[in-house]
Amino acid sequence: MVAITGLVVLLAQAFTPKGRPSPSAGLSLTGLIASLGATLLIWNGNGRGANVGGSYAADDFALFLHFLILVIGLLVVLLSPSYLRATKIDRGEYYALLLFSIVGMLGLVSCKELVSLFVALEIMSVSLYAMAGLHRDREQSLESALKYFVTGAFSSGFFLYGVALLYGVSGSTSLPDMAQHLHGATASTLALALLGTGLLLVGFGFKVASVPFHMWAPDVYQGAPTTVTGFMAAGVKVAAFGAFLRVLLEALPGLASEWQPALAALAVVSMIVGNLGALAQSNLKRMLAYSSVAHAGYILTALVATPGLGVEAVLFYLVAYAAMNLGAFGVLSSLARDDQEPLSLGDLAGLGVRRPALAAALTLFLISLTGVPVSAGFVGKFYLFRAAVNAGYVSLALVGVVMSVVSAYYYLRVVVFMYMREAGDAPTWGPVTWWSALGLAAAAAAVLGLGVYPGLVLEAARLAAQALVPH
Amino acid sequence: MSQSILSALVFLPVLGAIFVAVTPRENVLTQKLLGMGMSLVVFGLSLWMLAAFQLFPGMQFEVNRPWLPQYGIAYHIGVDGLSLWLIVLLSFLTPISLLASWNSIDSRVREFNVFMLLLEAGMIGVFVSLDLFLFYIFWEAMLIPMYFLIGIWGHERRIYAAVKFFLYTMAGSVLMLVGFLVLYQATGSQSFDLAVLARSPVDPALQMWLFAAFALAFAIKVPMFPFHTWLPDAHVEAPTAGSVILAGVLLKMGGYGFLRFAIPLFPDAAARFAPWIGTLAVIGIIYGALVSLVQTDMKKLVAYSSVSHLGFVMLGIASFTTAGVVGAVYQMINHGISTGALFLCVGMLYDRRHTHLISEFGGIKTVMPWFSALFLGMCLSSMAVPGFNGFVGEFLILVGSWSFSPTLVALASLGVILAAAYILWMVQRVLYGEVTNPKNRSLPDLSVREWVVLGPMVLLALFMGVASPLFTRSIEPSVDSMILKVETHRKAAAAAARAREVAPPVAPAPQPLGGERPR
Repeated sequence: MVAITGLVVLLAQAFTPKGRPSPSAGLSLTGLIASLGATLLIWNGNGRGANVGGSYAADDFALFLHFLILVIGLLVVLLSPSYLRATKIDRGEYYALLLFSIVGMLGLVSCKELVSLFVALEIMSVSLYAMAGLHRDREQSLESALKYFVTGAFSSGFFLYGVALLYGVSGSTSLPDMAQHLHGATASTLALALLGTGLLLVGFGFKVASVPFHMWAPDVYQGAPTTVTGFMAAGVKVAAFGAFLRVLLEALPGLASEWQPALAALAVVSMIVGNLGALAQSNLKRMLAYSSVAHAGYILTALVATPGLGVEAVLFYLVAYAAMNLGAFGVLSSLARDDQEPLSLGDLAGLGVRRPALAAALTLFLISLTGVPVSAGFVGKFYLFRAAVNAGYVSLALVGVVMSVVSAYYYLRVVVFMYMREAGDAPTWGPVTWWSALGLAAAAAAVLGLGVYPGLVLEAARLAAQALVPH
Repeated sequence: MSQSILSALVFLPVLGAIFVAVTPRENVLTQKLLGMGMSLVVFGLSLWMLAAFQLFPGMQFEVNRPWLPQYGIAYHIGVDGLSLWLIVLLSFLTPISLLASWNSIDSRVREFNVFMLLLEAGMIGVFVSLDLFLFYIFWEAMLIPMYFLIGIWGHERRIYAAVKFFLYTMAGSVLMLVGFLVLYQATGSQSFDLAVLARSPVDPALQMWLFAAFALAFAIKVPMFPFHTWLPDAHVEAPTAGSVILAGVLLKMGGYGFLRFAIPLFPDAAARFAPWIGTLAVIGIIYGALVSLVQTDMKKLVAYSSVSHLGFVMLGIASFTTAGVVGAVYQMINHGISTGALFLCVGMLYDRRHTHLISEFGGIKTVMPWFSALFLGMCLSSMAVPGFNGFVGEFLILVGSWSFSPTLVALASLGVILAAAYILWMVQRVLYGEVTNPKNRSLPDLSVREWVVLGPMVLLALFMGVASPLFTRSIEPSVDSMILKVETHRKAAAAAARAREVAPPVAPAPQPLGGERPR
């Protein structure tokens, strides 16, 4: 359904005469809402368990993530129009590419078969490569697109090699079959399987920007249009971690004792490097990029706690993370005006006085990113660390909390500039449109609501987790 | 109705904050009145709770509703003798601080009132929470309003002080959070409820680590030496209202945390750490007093005196006798009143001269006689002069700690003498003597508003010093029962450990364990 919407949007753009406002946003919105409705229908029983030749699954896990991805798409579409108009790239291709990328993401979390997984991965990524470079007249944007493309293609190569090795070992690319074959593995096949897993980890690591595969993130995040960055930060992480979980738990549970320590090491390094890196940044988008790396680390912490409490913790945190990250990027993008947007800390000075509601919203998102109660970020981190402690990885939790304190410093720095510095000659930013306001309000409501009453989403996450790893 | 009084106390300020937040920016008077009004309503409610409080140990006005059952987290609140007066103190100090700031906070009044009310809600929540997760939420949540209060309306180095305060306190708290998780895991009790966790035994070796994690978070808050370095900056740079609430209430959360959580949950570790805590407390007493002696800034002097006074509180807690702990709880209230009042007085001088330096003043007594009288009264209270509240608290602590460690008591008494030294010296330089600075010649004495702010504090200090049983009679039963419970647990655990060593592994329990009955 989403793909069809994408095609419709492309065509509509082609047929819209020059100078008329593009109907793309409205069309995208309609399509996404319709898809959401369809997802809800499936969740409630119709067409559940459909299996396209064993390669595609519509189980609870996939549906939970479908819902999340579609909502992410919805929020991005709400936040986009004002930004696109302000930075003069209001074109239908943006929305079409967005929708196609969503198609890829939806496929990524539902594929039970490695080749179709790869296809979905590429669909998602190629659309994003193009979107990153949409600011055709800005050097930074072109650089970011190229960097993303090159590192992305590189990582896809690793991923494919890993897939090939695993296929060689197990004789099948279907995830459940792979698990069966790896059950009775001999020493030599084990070595190959480990190598394949390692390469897969590298590929995934690139996509979620965990250390040491994170080098592309600051530049790409900084150069891409801000709403695209938000989409990348939220959507790609959700889809990639979803696929990651599925592959690790459906195909490779037997090798858990091998990849768990590796993930733990990745988690620790990501948390440390991500947070320390963010400390040094004065550009807002770069800072948020490093914070993304750190959050990938937090999520990896819970991944080592699978198949216990870790899965539902990861799923819940993905929801919280999407809300607060989109919110933060959304505030930045809704301030854009006349081809200008807030780039560094100084640009936000005095926002607390001039735009109290926006400043309050951004403060809420930053507090949530730090992990202070009352916010979705705190509840999410609580579940993540609880899962880790439950599985015996107390040291991971300790690193996580200490790094959260470190992160407080750079998140609060933004708050300092907004509230405790005079506006001086910081530029006055544009007014907030209704659509953006709606998107931001939704994100803020999610962050606060999940912080106070996470029960519903947690239940859904638990159901989704059980679908993946039946107890 | 009485069942929901605690929830009302916690959430009414939040409601008030929302009301203030939506008033238009220009209606400053409305915002001030709304803030003041809501805080008075909360004070009235707390007085009602006081009247309805019964003199027996155990939780009253308890509410226990499941919140996140899959994790054993419940909305469990209640009040007993430990927290009763702290809540009343808190709801008393908030309107007073708002009144004190009526004229001095003139920019962004709306945000000021919002943050003060949110802070009040968070602090009340801390004192009534009986579920670890709920406690942690309120504990951390009140960092944000305090951070803003210091950072926006403070003095020159306010941003540095605010960030330092936030990071320092958060660092201790997150370690406590990991402690929670490990405790939850180790007891296998599937619940974060305090009562449930207190009943479940914890392996002694693990207890030491967990107690250390909890103790660190609370020690930073108290503040205990050597984790006190955030305090002088935060106090000095905060606006008057912020300092009053910080000293009056926030610092008490550390001591309260020890009494409510750290000690009941980990009795063995607490007993083993007690001498260390007592020693650090006395070091804090003497160090705080000595540093106060050399201060040239009045606010900093009062800030370091807080370190010294709260050292007494920690000594009383470490002694773990009835007298010691009752004295400690009572002294927490006393300190809130006396140090709060001192900050208010210093703030009033600042309102007039925009300086805290002692050298800028002198001979104030001749210019502002009434102010000097009230200021002197609160200084005497802080010094623990008999007749004032401070004496009762410190005396109880010293008497109670004698059986714990005579040496520490002797050293702590030295602190009493030093307190007299630094307070009286400051009083002499500021109030007495000639009016050396011509700018001081025409300072106005107390206005009606300032009378309303200071008067009740002085009266309370006197009243609490003379009629202290009225206050301690509600504290004592809860303290007694807590000490009993902790001692029983400790002895039972020790007996169980001995039984495991002595008896052959297969035999049934050879000795009556936990056979001690409450007297």
